[in-house]
Amino acid sequence: MAKGEEEVRIARIIACFAPGSAGAPEAVARLAQELQAELLGLFIEDVELLRFAALPFAAEVGFPSASRRAMDLNALERQMRAQARALEDALAAVLGPAQAGWSFRVERTTPASAVEAALAEGMAPALLIPPGADPRAERRVLRRPELSDAALRALLRAVRPVLILPE
Amino acid sequence: MNSPLPADALRKRCDPAQFTFQTTAELTDLDAALGQGRAQGAIEFGVGMRREGYNLFAMGPEGIGRRTFVRRHLEAQANALPPPSDWCYVFNFKTPHKPRALRLPAGRAPAFRDHMARLVEELRAAVPAAFETDEYRNRRQQIEAEFGEHQEHVLGELSERARTQHIALIRTPTGFGFGPMSGDTVMEPEEYRKLPAAEQKRLEDLVTKLQEELERVLHDLPKWRRESTRKLRELNREVTRTAVNSTIDEVKAEYRALPAVQEYLAEVQEDMLENAEAFRASKEGEPVTMFGIPMARADAPEATLRRYVVNVLIEHTGAAGAPIVFEDNPSHDALVGRIEHIAQMGALMTDFTLIKAGALHRANGGYLVLDALKLLGQPFAWDALKRALRSNEIRTQSLGQALSLISTVSLDPEPIPLEVKVVLVGQRLLYYLLHAYDPEFAALFKVAVDFEEDMPRAPENDLLYARVVAALARKESLRPLERAAVARVIEQSSRDAGDAGKLSVSMQALVDLLREADYWAAQAGRAAISAPDVQRAVDTQVERLDRVRRRLLENMLRGNLLIDTAGERAGQVNGLAVAQLGGFAFGMPQRITARVRLGSGGVVDIERESELGGPIHSKGVLILSGYLAGRYALGRPLSLSASLVFEQSYGGIEGDSASSAELYALLSSLADAPVRQSLAVTGSVNQHGDVQAIGGVNEKIEGFFDLCKARGLASGQGVLVPQANVQHLMLREDVVAAVKEGKFAVYAVRTADEGIELLTGVPAAEIHARVEARLAQFAERARSFAAGAGGKPWQKAKKK
Repeated sequence: MAKGEEEVRIARIIACFAPGSAGAPEAVARLAQELQAELLGLFIEDVELLRFAALPFAAEVGFPSASRRAMDLNALERQMRAQARALEDALAAVLGPAQAGWSFRVERTTPASAVEAALAEGMAPALLIPPGADPRAERRVLRRPELSDAALRALLRAVRPVLILPE
Repeated sequence: MNSPLPADALRKRCDPAQFTFQTTAELTDLDAALGQGRAQGAIEFGVGMRREGYNLFAMGPEGIGRRTFVRRHLEAQANALPPPSDWCYVFNFKTPHKPRALRLPAGRAPAFRDHMARLVEELRAAVPAAFETDEYRNRRQQIEAEFGEHQEHVLGELSERARTQHIALIRTPTGFGFGPMSGDTVMEPEEYRKLPAAEQKRLEDLVTKLQEELERVLHDLPKWRRESTRKLRELNREVTRTAVNSTIDEVKAEYRALPAVQEYLAEVQEDMLENAEAFRASKEGEPVTMFGIPMARADAPEATLRRYVVNVLIEHTGAAGAPIVFEDNPSHDALVGRIEHIAQMGALMTDFTLIKAGALHRANGGYLVLDALKLLGQPFAWDALKRALRSNEIRTQSLGQALSLISTVSLDPEPIPLEVKVVLVGQRLLYYLLHAYDPEFAALFKVAVDFEEDMPRAPENDLLYARVVAALARKESLRPLERAAVARVIEQSSRDAGDAGKLSVSMQALVDLLREADYWAAQAGRAAISAPDVQRAVDTQVERLDRVRRRLLENMLRGNLLIDTAGERAGQVNGLAVAQLGGFAFGMPQRITARVRLGSGGVVDIERESELGGPIHSKGVLILSGYLAGRYALGRPLSLSASLVFEQSYGGIEGDSASSAELYALLSSLADAPVRQSLAVTGSVNQHGDVQAIGGVNEKIEGFFDLCKARGLASGQGVLVPQANVQHLMLREDVVAAVKEGKFAVYAVRTADEGIELLTGVPAAEIHARVEARLAQFAERARSFAAGAGGKPWQKAKKK
């Protein structure tokens, strides 16, 4: 547990999910239950990725297979829709479909913009869980003013949750 | 003519007055076994001879105390020997299906097992603790970060290079892609399409080149991952080593003097480093189930840690000497041990902890006593014992494996060196059969311990016997015996031996008699067993078993079985037979008749012709032909056809004890001399007419006496017995009393001449003269028949 965290009550959890990153929706939901925090499940359909997939010669090199294959925009969108549905179902299974205190939404934008918008919705201490991060892993603590655009992008690439405190 | 034997000769009495004690309570126990001097010498030699193949076979009839005797001698020897080593089976880290046998000094195996169990328990706490330290965590993070940084670095470098060419590296759900940029973002597809064809081609080529480069970079990443994993494994090993070494060193120090244990512990140490993960897994936790059924997992941590268990096969904690093992059920597995299995999801699994010791393991370093008959009755047990003795090692194998009936992978435990002295206890017949038919037997069982069934009856032995009686009474918690009771017991022992000059050493029969006499003493409210109690025990033993004898007697009295005890008749003699039914022997008279006529067939044994006579009986009858020919037909042909039969005999006849009676019947018939039916006869005869000893003389006399007594004893009744059997006479008191009163007589005869005189009242010479005359008459008539008819009329004409 991060230093100084004992005194802070986490009021909100922003759990980010990205295409292709499985995440741990059940673990996130249980953490929200334990902390009695409001949960926002945020599935980000990265516009950069969609734009790339729409290019006529778009291809990806698989990781870790290192094999090249063509990208198909329709297939990618289908996959995103299915993944978003599955994530919402998984959260609902733990938290109850009609229960207040949690929400799930799909944003087609850049990850940083989506998180920035979500953070702007409230000023209470919030726990940001980047895509693919273990919700119970050791947390970093940041204050809102330290959260530049570049810092936010770096945070979203990391695999550790971040506790964002108000000023 | 012979005189009857005096009553004193019919029963050798034991005079109670020779004993100075009042009851056996005053006597000390006798440790030595009565009359077993030779057996004692043999067992002392066999037990003391520590050479290969000097195992023992204690042979003799049941009930003479062979096991007790063997146990007493083995105990005396075993206590002087040191207790043998303990043996354990442990996991073989090099060849897991061949568990390793570990020898430890006597009594130390359990401690070793506990040390190993404690070691594992301690490591279950120490190893996870070592992985919880900040040092470990930091070093692990360092290794993981190193890989992450490398990955970031190579991808970042590529991304940067692409960016300088206005190409973006984009993370896709399953990899990476490159797309042309417009400003800081990926170019819109519409914008791309508006570009000149040459520019599109340039961008496409650029992306293709970058993709190829990315492929190369990603291709190298698994090598880095492997390297990172290797470093992590080495770190884990280093941390585990610290925890394991500090703990196992204490155990090593404890067993410093035992190189085999040291070697094993070194292997354990190395294996624990390889399997550190097993110690880190939680002991408790959700059991694995399938459809709710608990399921054991072969790869579970518990399964891995099981390999450090010590299976104490045999241990001798607190043992004072070498072990003596009596195995009552000597099956193959009970001898060489067994490998048990446990069922897991329908499959049978086993490991070295399921190896169980057999009797050979338990007796190793000491003595193993087995019943030979039971051993031979168990499939493959005899072969397994011989194999172990021959190879001097115990190889634990299931029968299925030994016979190659199963081919699944099973355990092949390391054999354990064997040093044991085996004592087989069995009947003589088994010893002789094994000796004759098993070529290995003589090499493996070189010492025969041959037990006597009886001992000479002498005054000094009477006292020794009294001390045995005293010891048994004490051991069995019976009342003491009065000296008269002891005397009666000695007389009964002599009767059991079937010899007035011997005492039976059958301990089982003696114990039974004492127990039953004690019962009757209790019924009579006596504090000590008296002579009447012993007598009652003897009588009731007979009474419980003599239904058949009584039934036969009843049939004789009612005339169903024709046996005369008065009057005279030619060619008819009362023979005597003995029947043995369910351990009870009794005598009964049997009418033997002979008929003679002209002929050349010699003596026809009707029993043999009807296949009711045994070979010895047939031999006896053939001897009669020899006697007749030798005595009466030296100079002329024996023109006689005689038939002999045991009247009203519906079962088999065996033995030659009736041959003298058959001879008397023949002579009586030939001489036309009536035989006194008040007499019965027993004894075999040779070709010279000498009467020879037979068995069961007491029972035979008593059998005829009982019939005479039932009809009312009359003077002149009696039995002719061979002179050689007089020393065996131990007749019942009532027979002796009747003889004393002149109501019954026992005659001892040496020759057939003496016998025929007693039976017919005619001098033997006259009998012989009459027989000779009769046979001469037959010969003359035969000659005249042959002269008149040109051949022998009684012979069938040969077919042309």
